[in-house]
Amino acid sequence: MSNANNLTYETVQIGDALGPAEFYLSKDQVRAYAKTCGMWTPRFTDDEAARKEGLPGMITPGNMSLAILSKLVTDWAGASGARIVRMGTTYRQPVMPDHTLTLQGFVTHKNESDRTAEMDIWIESEEGDRLVIGTATVHFPR
Amino acid sequence: MTVDYDPALIGRVFETTEPVPVSAEQIAAFCSAISETNPIFTDEAAAKAGPFGGIVAPPSFAVTFRNGRHFFEHIPRYGKQGFDAGKDVEFVAPIRPGDAVTLNSHVKEIYEKTGRTGSMVFVIVRSTLTNQKGEVVAHVDHRFMNRP
Repeated sequence: MSNANNLTYETVQIGDALGPAEFYLSKDQVRAYAKTCGMWTPRFTDDEAARKEGLPGMITPGNMSLAILSKLVTDWAGASGARIVRMGTTYRQPVMPDHTLTLQGFVTHKNESDRTAEMDIWIESEEGDRLVIGTATVHFPR
Repeated sequence: MTVDYDPALIGRVFETTEPVPVSAEQIAAFCSAISETNPIFTDEAAAKAGPFGGIVAPPSFAVTFRNGRHFFEHIPRYGKQGFDAGKDVEFVAPIRPGDAVTLNSHVKEIYEKTGRTGSMVFVIVRSTLTNQKGEVVAHVDHRFMNRP
């Protein structure tokens, strides 16, 4: 995805798309996240152990899904100085690694008074299910 | 149906964590784990010329800080296992290498919801992150879902 360094409050339009961006998430990458972030527990690191917990296999930590989804927004903002000021996520279904995720979203609102734009963002599975849904608010400097 | 809990739980801070130092290496490891390539998070020279005047942690780094070790002993459990149902995060200021981040957490809300699959109890824990200068850097609302 290109870094839209010329992104400004004035040029953003309601309906503007973020992505779609494809992201292949490997089991090793989930393990690397779990290790780095102090979340090394069986459900995030080992298929067999996760199945014993009643899960379909090792799953991605919610925090990692949030990180992947926030990257969609920070990639869009590039080095423009626009900054995420708020983000909400809902984990609807487990995100299984060793699959390609599609990240996308679109701008839903603009607020002139505080120079912010709001967007709906989500992570979609190969089957087209929205596994994680969220919203973000981005502030644009003058 | 309303869920049974002691109303005095709401708003009480049980434990404040020790300050957690944030190093440039940790930010780099975090970037690598999420395949972050935006130079404002990964490249010192580019970051210096960028909007934050130096490397900052990607915003999602704010949700990686842990609550105090004994925090969850004070929160009522409903059923066997809690699931992370989602987060609501307010990013107030960037986190930079060299910062030391302290967490103050409290129970913000407890409520019950009935869905297609039965009854669920949600516990919202709000963590406020403060840096070594006493500035709030983020508020993180953790939404935990329990099945009674």
